[in-house]
Parts: sequence; C-alpha cells; structure tokens
Amino acid sequence: MINLIVIVISAIVFALMVLWWRWPALRDRMEAPKYSMLRQERRFDERNAWPATGKPVRSFDHEDS
Amino acid sequence: MSTVSGQFVNRKPQANGQSAVELPSVEYSLIRAHIFASLVTLLISVSFGLMVATKFNFPEFLGGNSWLTWGRLRYNHTQGIFFGWLGNAFLAFFYYAVPRLADRPVFSRKLGWLLFWVWNFAVVLPGWVLVLAGFSQPLEWAEFPIVVDAFVVLAFILMTFEFVVPFVRVRSADLFVSAWYIIGGIIFTMLAYPVGNFVPEYIPGAMGAAFSGLWIHDAVGLFVTPFALAIAYYVIPATTRRPIYSHFLSMVGFWVLFFIYPLNGTHHYVYSAIPMAAQKGAIVASAYLGMDVILVVTNLLLSLRGNSGTTSKDVPLRFVWFGVVAYLVVSLQGSVQALMPVNRFIHFTDWVIGHSHLAMIGFASFTALGGIAHMWQRIPGTRYNERAMNWSFWLVASGITLMVADLTIAGLVEAQVWESSAPWIDSVRAVSSYWLVRTFSGLPIAAGFILFWIALVTGPEVSQETTSEASREVSEIVPKFDGNDSTSHELSFSNWLSHAYVIAFGAGVGFFALSFLILAILPGKDLENEINRVAPVTMPTLTASEQRGRVIYGREGCAYCHTEQVRFLAADVRRFGAPTEAWETKYDYPQLWGTRRIGPDLSREFNLHPQDWQLTHLFNPRFVVRDSVMPPYPWFFSGGPSKPTQEGLDLLAYLQSLGRARELSGLDRQALAFGAKSGQSEMADMTMGSDPSAEATPPTVPVAMVGGFSDSAPLLHPAAVPGDLHEEMSRGGNLFTANCASCHGSSGSGDGAASPSLLPKPADLTAARFSDERLSSVLWNGIAGSSMPPWRQLPAEDLRALIAYVQSLQRLAAAPSAQEASTAIQGLPYFAAYCASCHGVTGAGNGPVASALAPAPTNFHLKKPSEERVLDVLENGVPGTAMPPWKTQLNEDEKRALAKFVPSLYGLPPENTGP
Repeated sequence: MINLIVIVISAIVFALMVLWWRWPALRDRMEAPKYSMLRQERRFDERNAWPATGKPVRSFDHEDS
Repeated sequence: MSTVSGQFVNRKPQANGQSAVELPSVEYSLIRAHIFASLVTLLISVSFGLMVATKFNFPEFLGGNSWLTWGRLRYNHTQGIFFGWLGNAFLAFFYYAVPRLADRPVFSRKLGWLLFWVWNFAVVLPGWVLVLAGFSQPLEWAEFPIVVDAFVVLAFILMTFEFVVPFVRVRSADLFVSAWYIIGGIIFTMLAYPVGNFVPEYIPGAMGAAFSGLWIHDAVGLFVTPFALAIAYYVIPATTRRPIYSHFLSMVGFWVLFFIYPLNGTHHYVYSAIPMAAQKGAIVASAYLGMDVILVVTNLLLSLRGNSGTTSKDVPLRFVWFGVVAYLVVSLQGSVQALMPVNRFIHFTDWVIGHSHLAMIGFASFTALGGIAHMWQRIPGTRYNERAMNWSFWLVASGITLMVADLTIAGLVEAQVWESSAPWIDSVRAVSSYWLVRTFSGLPIAAGFILFWIALVTGPEVSQETTSEASREVSEIVPKFDGNDSTSHELSFSNWLSHAYVIAFGAGVGFFALSFLILAILPGKDLENEINRVAPVTMPTLTASEQRGRVIYGREGCAYCHTEQVRFLAADVRRFGAPTEAWETKYDYPQLWGTRRIGPDLSREFNLHPQDWQLTHLFNPRFVVRDSVMPPYPWFFSGGPSKPTQEGLDLLAYLQSLGRARELSGLDRQALAFGAKSGQSEMADMTMGSDPSAEATPPTVPVAMVGGFSDSAPLLHPAAVPGDLHEEMSRGGNLFTANCASCHGSSGSGDGAASPSLLPKPADLTAARFSDERLSSVLWNGIAGSSMPPWRQLPAEDLRALIAYVQSLQRLAAAPSAQEASTAIQGLPYFAAYCASCHGVTGAGNGPVASALAPAPTNFHLKKPSEERVLDVLENGVPGTAMPPWKTQLNEDEKRALAKFVPSLYGLPPENTGP
C-alpha cells in the first residue's frame, strides 16, 4: 500500500515537473504568487513609511480607531 | 476613517503624492502580545529544561519536592516549547502575514484576543500547573491533561476562523506558499490533535501506540514544520526583496510534505509489536520525506543566491538561514534514523534527544526567532538593538551546535554499551560527562534567548529607511506578472490551478485520513486479532492498587526514562528477556511503551527485585545503585523507605505487576524447552518475529540455588600468585565501591545506605569466609529472595577481582583445629534436631525443605561464618529469610555448643546437591 502511494505521488510530481518545464505559460502562472507576495510587501511598507522624525504619520492598527 | 475589524482600511493620500490604497488592517497589538507571551514562555520552558538537564548530574537537585521532580518538569519543558514558545511565535506571525498574504484582515480582533487568552490562560498556564500538580497524560507531545486538550482543539477552531477564513475569497492559484503552509498547518493539526491525544486513552497498548506514533510525528510535521516553513518562505523574499527561486517547487514541497509526513509516525516503534507492514511503510515514507526536504531546502537556499551579504548582515535573515540549514540536517538525520540498521542501534539513546533539540531549536526556534525579529522591525514604535540581536544569534547557535554534537556522541556511547553485556548502570556512567556538557550547552542558549528579548526592547526606534528603499527595489522586480493585466488565457490557467489546488487540498485531507487507516486502524485490527488469538484466557487484569500505581507511574514521567517494550532485537532480548508482544499490552490504557531509555526497560520487572529493594530504590535510588541518576521519590514515604504511603504501595504494586501476565502464561518456558530440544542457541534480530519468545534468561534475573552453589555458574578462582592477587584485590576494591558498597557498606560490613530497609540485610562480608565456589555462584546467579542481584553481566576478570577482594575482607581466622572440632561435637545433636532440615545433615544447605526456601539456607562448606556471627544469628535470626531466632528454644549452653559445632563443618569438602 505504502509503495503504491509513493509511486503515485512520485508520478504526479514528475508529471507536474514536466508540465512546468515544457509549458511556459503554466510555469508563469504557477510562479506568479511569488511576485504578488513581494508586491504586497511593498504596499504595506509604503503604508507604514513615516518621516525621519521617527514618529509614524498615523497609527497602524485598530488602536487608532 | 475609523477601522472596523474585517473591513478594509481607507487611507489618506500619502505625503509623496501617490494615490491612496486600500489595505487590510494589521493587529499589531495582538502581534506584540503574542511575541511577549512567546518570550516569557520560552524563558520559562528553557528554565524547565535546564532544571531537567541539571538533574542528570545532580539527581538530588530539587529532588525533595514532588512539584519539581524530573518527570513533571520534563513534561512542562517540551509542552512549554511546543505550545507556549512556538505556538505564540507562530500566532504572532499569522497576525503579521495573513493580512499581507490574503489582502484581507484577520477575521476578528475580539476573536483574536479570545484566542490569545484561550491559548495562554486555558492551555499553557493551566497545563503547566496541572502537570506540576500531578495531572498529566504520559504520551509524548501530548503531556497536558485531557481537560487542557479540549481547549487546544477549541483554539484550533478559533484559529481556523481567524486565519483561514480570510483566505476563503482568495483564488487559490494566487496564494503564496506561506499561506498554504498556514492553512494546511492549522487544518491538519486540528484534525490530528484529537486523534493523537484522546484516542490512546481509549485504545490500549500496542494499538494505542500506533496512534501515539502518528501524533508524535504529526506534532512536528503538521504543526511545527509547516509554520516554521511559512516563516522561512516569507522572511527570505521579504528581506532580500527578491522572489523565491521557484514557487512551483515550493508547492511541490508543500504537497509532498502534507501527503507523506503523516505516514511517518510508526517509525518511532520500529522493531516493536506493531505489524511489520506498518513499520516498513513508515520507514519508506521517512526516506521519501528526506527527498522532499532536500527539494524544499534547495529551493529556499537558491532563493538566497546572490544575497550572502544580506544574509550575513541581516540578523533575522541569518536566524532563518540557520533554521533552514538545520531543517535539512535534522530531516536527513530523521530519514536515516528510521532505517532499521540505524534504528536498532541509536533508538532510545541521547542521539534522539539531540535530534529533537536540533528540530525544535535548530530548525523551528531559529526560524521563529528570525520571523519575530523580522516582524518587530516593521512594527511601528518598536526598538531594535542589532548588536544584542547579533550576540543572541551567536550564543544560541553555538549552544545548540555544542548540544547536538554532544548528545549525538553520547547516544553512540550509550548504544555501544547497550550492545555489550555490561550492566545497565555502565551506560549511565559512560555518558554522565556528556550530560554535564549538555547542561552547560544550555546556558549560552538561555543567555541568547534573554539577549534576544533585550534586543527587542533596547536600541533605537526602527526607521522607515529600510522599507522605503526596499520598496523601490521591489518595483523593479515585481512587474513581471500582474493579475490585473491577465489575459483570459492566463485567467483560464488561474481557474485551472485553483481547481487543481482545491482538489489537491481535498486529496491532502484524504491522505491524512489514509495515514490513520494505514498506520493505525489497519494495524490496530491486525493487533486486535492477534491479541484475541494469543492472549491467555486467564490473563490477569490489574488490581485496583496496581491501576492506581499505573497512574502514578505515568504522572511522574517514569515512562520517559524506562521503556515498557522489549524490542524484537537480540540485544534487547539478551538484556531484558522476551520481546513485548501485543497481547501483553491488552489492558494498558494508555500505552506506556516509552520512547527513551535512561534506566532499563521495566516490562519484565515481575519477580526481578523484591519489595524492599523496590521501596528503597524509590525512596532514594542511590541507596541501592550508587551512580543511578533516577530522581528520589520521598513523597511516597513517611520518613523512610520502610514506611511507604498508600501511593508508594500502589506504585510498588504496579512495578511488580510488569511482566506478570507473560510469566504466568508459561510461553517462555515452552520456548526454552523447544529451543533446548531443537538445539537453537543463537538469537538474531527479527528471526524472533515468528517466534518472539525469549531463548535466554536475562542476566538480571536471579537464579534459585539450593546448597548455595550452582553448576551453571563458572567456577572462578582468584590469582594464585601474590603479585597478581594484590592487583586483582585492588581492582576488585574499585568494583566493590562502584557496585556493592551501597548495600554491603564501604567496609563490607553489611551497613551500606540501603541496609536499614532491606530484608534480608546485605551480608556482613567480614563475618564469614566465602569459598570461591560460593562467591562465583552468588555473583553469577544472585540470591533469589534477596536484593542481591546477579552480576554475570560483568566480565569474568571483574568477577574474579571481586572474589579476591571479598575474600580479603574476612576477619575470620583459619578453619578450626582438629582438637577444637572434637570438642565441638557436643553441638551435633542440636544441629541434627533443629538445623539439618534446612541446612542439611552435613551443613551443605541442602536439607529436605531447602528447595522451598528463598533465600536458600546457608551452605557451611562454602560460607563460613565466625563463631560470633553464628551466635548472633542464633540469637536474632536473619530477618527476611526462613532463619528464625532461637533465643527462646535454645538455652545459652545449647547455643554456644551449636556455635562451636558449626565451624566443624567448614572442613568438609564442598557438596552440592542443588538443582
């Protein structure tokens, strides 16, 4: 049973790797989240930016409500 | 605009003129609260660990208080690291990362505070207090009592709402890998936790162990690993401002981890009674998991390519980098450990403790520390002391490196001793210096953790410089793909991927269920059938007292030093006896097989030690085993080892029940007879799988002798040459001090620390002459019915040295002269009338009733007590034996005549009519 599971998983992983390698459009789509993550980081960093006085322009969480 | 939890936040135009953006709110107050809780609980948990480690070298340290005994502190150490430190650290990370990854706030701030209170004040704090008070569950990674487990499950339900619900409206194709790890970790742990914590309470012994094994591994594989990897996958790109190497490979790693990890559990019970198919399945899965980890770590390290400067300068990133490298090492180590040739050698040793510390500190804690430090620099109004943080890294890194190296070597040393025929205590002595190093290695780790906290509250306030610069860098890298610009073709991919991921997640849950089917339910059915087939119909259950003793055994953590499973290994069987079969665990709720041996296995304790030895050992183990590191349990006694409380008696009853069912079944006697008939003598690993009965009597089991002598014992003579004899006596003296003096006293007078509470008292070795035959037999066989154990595990030269030394202790002069013997003849009638029925007509200890007595009557040909000693025995008897006092039956003249007569027997040739 365990051998069957290992073989099936290996086959699926291998097939995905072939798809990833041979199908650039799919590869681009699969890789997209790694860029969106960085974009989100940039957005939050910009929100959190504050002047060199060291004091935030505004408060950052619900406590400011 | 005021913010409301669960809604987006409208932001005013920024100073740089950019348009306003809608961003989800981040619960910074909850992040701070969880980071604070994580550091408090980390320091408390490390303190527990340091106390536990110290007790290895100083077992009396804090030893008089039940709340601070080794077992309870050990439970709290690991549960504190698991729930208090890592749990809070992960929760803090979720509050930071989920709004960024989901582009939505967490479900509810109020729910978040409820979760905070439940986690810390319904799980961690009460769990610690209850364990210290003696309410616990003796299962690895599940030590908090069941009432606390209920709140853990509640907390995971709350987590699902708080952190998983925000992702529901996100296209799964857009989810970054950290989000997958967070979602997967929460859901899979929520499913696994009840199975691992509740089920073993209701499924006994071997069947319960199959479930326990799953949880032991799932605790690390479905809780610690996913969340730590979520942090690593987040911190690396967020710090380097470059995308990870491959998101596709990260997802492959994610799915394989969740498919394969649950299948590993049974590798904690290799060579056990659990069906071999389940064991082998777990071993294959463990090897496969190693390959997955190589994939994950390669992807993470490739994500750092070209950023070596950043990794060395940015301390949080360096923490994460260390964690990733440790993850690779510990995972490959785990895969190798599961392989049978390795497992047979290192399992139960300190090697495994080094492995678990590498996992929980080297991998998980380093990654969590990196995550906290990374977050902290991005929380407004916080301070950050980079110098202190840098020192923190090096202290913890050097401490854990030393600890793991030390424990790994210690494990190899222990394994080597266990493979030999040396007494168990030799393995304890062999690694005591390693334990000292381990304790010291904990100090820089603790100092590093304290410095980490200092680094978060000192130093300058963090500035915006880093983030704004980094944002500009990101803007150059990110545009490669933007979901808003997607063509319909790309959207179809997204839809396809979303479906694929949802299907894969469903399959993951299915695989998770499959793991329980393959590794727990199916083997459980096999075990149930085997138990029904093999278990004797007359198999005794535990009495009420034994059952209470079992609970005490569990709460004091006995199962964390003593296993209750003899594995199907020749080395185990030689040392402990027959391997543990499933039917023997039929009434064990929950199983107490254990995963570690500091002391010997106890599953064959029935008839191994008399009650007085057990009680003395529980009161203070060093009274009977000088170098034991077992904690004392004085709270089971009212002042002394001979005054046990009811709890002490209950624990004693349980200890003496271990192996009783096996002994009474007679299976091993049949196997021995069969082995003798078929000429089998050699044992080999796993060949015992088809015939799991013992083929040899373990060397710790006393063998009854009649006449004080046994033909089965080798006859050992000390050296005849004076020079050699002197050397032998000198070595024998050292051996005597190490192994015998705690009972017989340093001078051999029978007045050791244990002697007041042992019955019969340890022999006064100075009050008699012992022949070579007598000492050879006693050292080889022990004295059944007394606390004198056999020492046949010692090499023959050591036994010879002991004989030489013991014979040097005697104060007695030579045997009486012929004239003295003739006057002593007056005592003969009394001896014939009162003594011969036990001691035999010629004093050879082979009287008609001798075979029914334990300890056996003295053979005066082999043991030659002084006249004073004979008189003393006639006056007072020998408590704990069948020798009564004769002061009322015999008058002074008769006793004196007997005392004169007994030495006349010494000159007779040795005689043995024993079995």
